[in-house]
Amino acid sequence: MIPAPNPQSAVLAGASPAEDFADLLRRQGLLVAAPSTTAAAASPLAQTQATTILAFRFADGILVAGDRRATAANQIVYDRADKVIEIDRYSLMAIAGVPATAWEMARVLEHSFQFYRRSQLQEMSLEGKVRALSKLLRDNLGFVLQGVGVVVPLFVTYDLEAETPRVYFYDAMGAQFEATDFTASGSGSPAVRAVLHFENTWGSKPLRKLKSNEAILLALRALETAASGDSATGGVDRRADVFPIVKIVSKSGIETLPEARLAKLFKSRAV
Amino acid sequence: MIEEPYRWVEAIANRREYIEHQLAAGSPIVALNYADGILVFTLSRERQKIFEIYDRIAMGGLGHPGDIERLRLAAIELCSTEGFARSAHDVSLRRLANFSLSPALKSAFEQVYGPPYLARLLFAELGRGGAPNLFLRLDYDGSIRTNGGSFGRAFEDFGVIAGSKASADRMEALLRSRHTSKESFEAAIRFAAEAWSLGHLSLGDDGSEEAPATEKLATHLQTQLVEAAIECAVLEKNAPHAITWRVIADSEVRSLLASPA
Repeated sequence: MIPAPNPQSAVLAGASPAEDFADLLRRQGLLVAAPSTTAAAASPLAQTQATTILAFRFADGILVAGDRRATAANQIVYDRADKVIEIDRYSLMAIAGVPATAWEMARVLEHSFQFYRRSQLQEMSLEGKVRALSKLLRDNLGFVLQGVGVVVPLFVTYDLEAETPRVYFYDAMGAQFEATDFTASGSGSPAVRAVLHFENTWGSKPLRKLKSNEAILLALRALETAASGDSATGGVDRRADVFPIVKIVSKSGIETLPEARLAKLFKSRAV
Repeated sequence: MIEEPYRWVEAIANRREYIEHQLAAGSPIVALNYADGILVFTLSRERQKIFEIYDRIAMGGLGHPGDIERLRLAAIELCSTEGFARSAHDVSLRRLANFSLSPALKSAFEQVYGPPYLARLLFAELGRGGAPNLFLRLDYDGSIRTNGGSFGRAFEDFGVIAGSKASADRMEALLRSRHTSKESFEAAIRFAAEAWSLGHLSLGDDGSEEAPATEKLATHLQTQLVEAAIECAVLEKNAPHAITWRVIADSEVRSLLASPA
């Protein structure tokens, strides 16, 4: 059971202050510890899953997009899920997998970065941020082995020192990889990866030369392609006017594209 | 010795005298409302004195650096765990001070065998959804003074702390003479600097002398600026993100104070 936050400060009672936010949560029992058993019994539970996210580098930065569907087995749970979550001014996390775990991870991550900056009086380094998510995934391994709570996220951030945006993808155990041009995760990712690879190699121009309208249209079409073959991917829902979440990470921070612009672009069919 | 009640009272009085003496040289910290939120201002020589605590809460502290650090980290931990476990909307300065910090400070102060906190803190919180901004002074004995909102007292536009009572009283009297809630950043920072200068000049006074004239405040500020760094931060009510804290660089404030009004 998760207790209420303790209003009495352990620091004022003599405990040493925490440097790491996840550590602080663990001390107070506010973070659910993954079971350490390795029993891999098939879970009888139909878990809610979020699927298909992508990120690629284009002329203005890195574009991140995610469809809106969440499913449990063959049921559609939700068609307005937000899988692209802002962590701080320059970082965001896109999630594929179990949202219960992924949203919790995003919350821990967001608070970790702020907590570090406020308590240590300096911004956490880019490597530190990338590793922080890696550690959360590693800590979650117990749940993964139990067949619940698998999360395979992307992490996109702007490297202020090198003045370039960067995108990382992870496996469920927490290994991190930096993607040079594009990456995708979730059940629709094979189709998305195929589209992006094709465009990047044989398209009219490589992805990193695309202008913003071209990039946005490509992202929408890639997700729509994935949705055509994968029932767990939402793609573009024209009847309900539900569009994927599209965000751009660049030197000026994170920009969320309004649905109206996505709709206009998608319907115009040409740039 | 302190088994007898009288001795205990005496011990507490001695302790208070000792702490007040330790804090007496503390340079003032001024926080006030302006058009876009709250501005916090001070001059510092050795170390940072103004800090971000949470999305909408700032803190300034004077006293022993070790004690300020402990209180600051405690406040950050309390706000962060509350904000994580419930939500950022549930983090409140009033609760942080009244419920968590004040009792701990009081018991440390009154347990005469243990060390007290040599610290005086100023907190400022940006009100949500049009609620007034809260300024709160928290002392080494756990006592709290807020900028109003209770017992028929209207909310004041400011909060200050200083090493001595005379200094704080003078600054409050000056700040009370003008409503700053609608003033520009430039006007607010000039006023804050003037108030700081008055507070700094009055540190050694016992409060009986005449308050120094405006010209004297300006020259005093100029001489202090030569040797000290300006610390200035704002909590912006229209910040594009949940985090409202922004540090204003020393050079920016310096050029502002140098240019004519």
